[in-house]
Amino acid sequence: MQTKKMTALVGGALAGLLMLSQANAADLKIGIMVPTTGSEATAGKDMENSIKLAVNEINKAGGVLGMNVVTITGDDGCDPQMATSAASKLVSSDVVGVVGGYCSGATLPTLKIYGDAGTPFVVAAANSTKLIDANPGTSFQINSTGFDQVNTAVNLFQSKGIKKLAIVHQGDGYSEDLAKLTKEKWTAMGLEVVAYEVVNKGEQDQSSLVTKIKSKAPDAVFWTAYYSDGALLIKQLRQAGFRKLIAVGDGSNSPKLLEIAGKAAEGVFCFSNPTADYLPAAKAYTASYKSNYNQAPDAYGPLAYDGMKLMADAITRAGSTDKAAIVKALKETKAFNGITGAVSFTDQNTLAKSNFVVLVAKGGKWALNK
Amino acid sequence: MNTSSNTSMVANIANWLQHQHNRLVVLLVMAALAMFFPLIANNYMLEVLTNAWFYTILCLGLNIVVGYAGLLDLGYAAFFAVGAYTTGILTSQFGVNFWLTIPAAVFCSMVAGIIIGGPTLRLRSDYLAIVTLGFGEIVRIIARNLEITGGASGLIGIDRPYFFGIELSQGIHFYYVFLILAIIACFVSYRLQNSRLGRAWQYVREDEDAAEAMGINRVGVKLYAYVIGAMFGGVAGAFFAVKMTAISPETFTFSQSVLILLGVVLGGMGKIPGVIIGAFALVLFPEVFRDLGSMRMLVFAIVMLVIMLYRPEGIWPRGKS
Amino acid sequence: MSTTDIILQQLANGLIMGSFYAMVALGYTMVYGIIKLLNFAHGDLYMVGGFVGFLILSAISSLLGESWTAIVCSMVLSMLAVGMLGVIIQRVAYRPMLTAPRLSILITALAVSMILSNGVMTITDGEYMAFNTDLGFDGLDFGNVFISYTQLALVISASVLMVILYLFVNKTLYGKAMRAIAIDQDACKLMGINVNKIIALTFFIGSSLAAAAGVMAGVYYGSLHFSMGFVIGLKAFTAAVIGGIGSIPGAMLGGLLLGLLEAFGTQIPFIGSEWKDVFSFGLLILLLILKPTGILGKTEIERM
Repeated sequence: MQTKKMTALVGGALAGLLMLSQANAADLKIGIMVPTTGSEATAGKDMENSIKLAVNEINKAGGVLGMNVVTITGDDGCDPQMATSAASKLVSSDVVGVVGGYCSGATLPTLKIYGDAGTPFVVAAANSTKLIDANPGTSFQINSTGFDQVNTAVNLFQSKGIKKLAIVHQGDGYSEDLAKLTKEKWTAMGLEVVAYEVVNKGEQDQSSLVTKIKSKAPDAVFWTAYYSDGALLIKQLRQAGFRKLIAVGDGSNSPKLLEIAGKAAEGVFCFSNPTADYLPAAKAYTASYKSNYNQAPDAYGPLAYDGMKLMADAITRAGSTDKAAIVKALKETKAFNGITGAVSFTDQNTLAKSNFVVLVAKGGKWALNK
Repeated sequence: MNTSSNTSMVANIANWLQHQHNRLVVLLVMAALAMFFPLIANNYMLEVLTNAWFYTILCLGLNIVVGYAGLLDLGYAAFFAVGAYTTGILTSQFGVNFWLTIPAAVFCSMVAGIIIGGPTLRLRSDYLAIVTLGFGEIVRIIARNLEITGGASGLIGIDRPYFFGIELSQGIHFYYVFLILAIIACFVSYRLQNSRLGRAWQYVREDEDAAEAMGINRVGVKLYAYVIGAMFGGVAGAFFAVKMTAISPETFTFSQSVLILLGVVLGGMGKIPGVIIGAFALVLFPEVFRDLGSMRMLVFAIVMLVIMLYRPEGIWPRGKS
Repeated sequence: MSTTDIILQQLANGLIMGSFYAMVALGYTMVYGIIKLLNFAHGDLYMVGGFVGFLILSAISSLLGESWTAIVCSMVLSMLAVGMLGVIIQRVAYRPMLTAPRLSILITALAVSMILSNGVMTITDGEYMAFNTDLGFDGLDFGNVFISYTQLALVISASVLMVILYLFVNKTLYGKAMRAIAIDQDACKLMGINVNKIIALTFFIGSSLAAAAGVMAGVYYGSLHFSMGFVIGLKAFTAAVIGGIGSIPGAMLGGLLLGLLEAFGTQIPFIGSEWKDVFSFGLLILLLILKPTGILGKTEIERM
């Protein structure tokens, strides 16, 4: 019995491995690397959906270079180790390019894997500045980086006459990076950061932190991490009677934040890459997303969609599926017209022109801050 | 009928395996398979199996603590973290040659083992579990908060090592690196199991008080288990750092410790082949069931429960003793 | 805010956090006391409790409106449902394992924990659920110290549940049987106590307390996620050990103590929120080394 079970087990394992290595020559294979499991699965699936939407449109219009585009998803689980395995899987499946990248921490170690394989990688969402240093030259960030976000944030705080700032992050690569850069910029301007704090991921009760922040009497609180814990912080800050300005970073740009925080979120500012609601060019995308998936797209859908379209565009311009040619074509991208705006790259393969906007929560919805 | 023929087959195999000679044959065949596997494998398969060998080393290390000495350790990832960070910091910030950092990584993880083990080994076993858990979390948070460890983003750009002029950068290089380390780990485990110390561990595990009455230094031998287990973790961590080229605190969470522990227990505590099978199951199951998407961890957990319910001593059969 | 205000407010924060820890720690401690098992799945029962409460609340809020009555009803129903789940888990996963090696049953508990959290993840698609009851921000305002009615209700209901439990264990026949089994299971069998039934009852009570805490957390914090049981499970486990695992008053005390430690740990200069967990785990380790049985645990000779 046991031996049989084990043979079946080992057999199954080998069969599975072999299955994954099969290839179909007539298709153009594009890898999607996003977290489809784990705590950030919601955002990852939204990106995957958007990329598939773009692929459907591309295929309906005749494919790329006459080839049908197919996608393979590698689940990075928002975890560095899973991400390297997902990246190797995509590289071994002979994808000509990869679109995705949500969690900066998980995306970071994969850059080298794609670089070694020469595979072009359009990083749609992850935007830690650490990614810039680690880029072997084959990755392209189409989301504005942390530097752009810090500038947007500091401008807003200054226009609101903020002097004393409290910064809270979540102890992961992305939010710490943003918090640190903001702190550096703020103190360099001769202003004061009165509290620089961490919330442990998944901890629901932040009341003691809230009390501490309140006791330092800041003019504004800046939350640099994701929406789930951010919503709790906002709620508990307001509950404790903190009436001053609260701002959140782009990881918190989700309708879920407003849903969880409820009326406490009213008036909260959010720095964000442009989301579907505020993009005139994204109307058709939003409509077809809704009809395909029965829900509205999330924050990074449009960027993921653009990433896929950009990849297809670059392959067409390269005129071949040669990876080096595609990387070159990506690098030469001049004002590619995506739904999130025009894409061109700097020398560091980051977005040339910041696309950050400031949103404000009004009546349970995000609206552009005028 | 079917069952009986199966049972007799198992019995036959078990009998056949009793002979040292036959066991050696099986071992050699398996070693040859492992050696030549990269010739037919693609990058993905290599990556997955490299991962399996990597977990084999970690599981064998934890097996010394849990399997041999019978101490429940819920913070084993801490040792692995100490090794990885030692190598990461020394190579990326002080420019030390990777091979020279290995002794440092081993030394630091040993020290961590002594720090954790020293004061706590007198504790009741359940308390020991939570103390190790606490230490595991403390190590992770320290790594997250300090400047030298790169904070929450961790260390990036750790250089790949050179081995006689060849840069170890390809999947196939690391496959062999971890295969060789796993073989060494097996050998060391095997020798330890049958050593004087190994018998002392077994004695302490089965009956602590009797062992002490027989003149075994209870705390001393437990500390040995901790320190040796920590060394395995340290070495694995050092190589992990250069393989990944980037390490961050997120890798060294409680779930990581639990995962390693699962590998040890699934296969069968204290049994080297069992631990290897456990490590492989740990890595291969989620990969094979990747198509299930988000359900795959659920399936993994159910399989685990079923194995525990029907074979509580692990997958590998009990030895003749 | 003056220093006194800060101290008072953190005291309030710590007590509220502590009541959650205490309620979850009780389940750990009861199960440990009776079958010497560290039930890793316990934190996940808290999470499941929150979700079940959410479902029931959304179902009955059309009838009762989003009132306190509706919340109490959904809490009671969730306690019953999750209590039953705890009994089923005990029957299916733990009872067959009682004679197995000690580590195996621990792994079984880990597996159950993974099944629960990943199961809920699959069902909810990994989404956060907004548990929005909009109870308002009203409360008692003492100048700079503020305690909302929700917080007050929370602490009161936690205390009531804990008092009921204490009376149940110490004053009823069932409670007596529980305590007896904790001392010697075999002797209890010989004395005609239905040991399996009492163990099941223990699981029922422990699980329903976790569920009650889960529903309260849902109402209070306003969000639910499949991973929310992990952190609190860890903390409650710590609380149970601080108080002396196996001791019911110990779990309550340990929970409150841990809550207070964390609240004040956040405030201490140079420690701050970054080092908060190092602070609480460090104290835990020190305490265990100096007084390994916890505060109220009995010294006993270990039999493995």
